[in-house]
Amino acid sequence: MASSKLQALWNHPAGPKTIHFWAPTFKWGISIANVADFTKPPEKLSYPQQIAVTCTGVIWSRYSTVITPKNWNLFSVNIVMAGTGLYQLARKIQLASTKQQ
Amino acid sequence: MEVLRAFVNSPIGPKTTHFWGPVFNWSLPIAAFLDTKKPPEVISGNMTAVMCGYSALFMRFAWVVQPRNLHLLVCHACNETVQLYQLSRWIKAQHCYLQEFTEER
Repeated sequence: MASSKLQALWNHPAGPKTIHFWAPTFKWGISIANVADFTKPPEKLSYPQQIAVTCTGVIWSRYSTVITPKNWNLFSVNIVMAGTGLYQLARKIQLASTKQQ
Repeated sequence: MEVLRAFVNSPIGPKTTHFWGPVFNWSLPIAAFLDTKKPPEVISGNMTAVMCGYSALFMRFAWVVQPRNLHLLVCHACNETVQLYQLSRWIKAQHCYLQEFTEER
C-alpha cells in the first residue's frame, strides 16, 4: 500500500522526474539564502531585492494554483519566500526608523 | 485592434495570472540591475548564487509548463545574465579582500 502511494508520487505529473518538481525545489534555496542573511546587518540588505522577493512570492503563490499541473511545492515555496522577504524588509525599516529618532 | 482584443482575452493575457506572474518576476532582474551600481558589499553571495541556479531551472520550466510562457522565459534569461554579472563582482571583491588581508600580514 505504501509502495503504491510512493509510486503514485514518483509518477506524478509534477513529480521528481519532471522540471515541475526540481525548479520549485531549487527555489527553496532563495528562502534558505534569505534566512542565512537574517544575521546580516540590515545596512547591508538591499531594498530592491527584498521587495522583489516579497512581491514575486505573493503573486507566484497564486500562479502555482492556476497552471497545469497544479504545483503545491511551488505554492509553498513562494509563501515562505514572501515571508522571509517581509521579515528582511521589517528589519531594514526598523533600523531606518530608529536612526530617524 | 482585433489583435489587442484577442490578446486581452487570451488564456495568457492580462486578465490572467499567467501574465502578471512574469510581470512581477521582472522585479528580480530589475532589482539586481539597480544593485549593479552599488558597491559589492551589498551583494549577497548566497542569494546571487542561488538566483543563478533558480533562473536556469525556470527557463526550462517556462518552456514546458502549460500554458507555455515565453514571457517568463525571457524574464529568467535576463535574470540569469544580471545575476551572473553580480556573482562575478562578488567573487572579484572576495578576491580583493583576501589579497588585502594577506598583504596586511
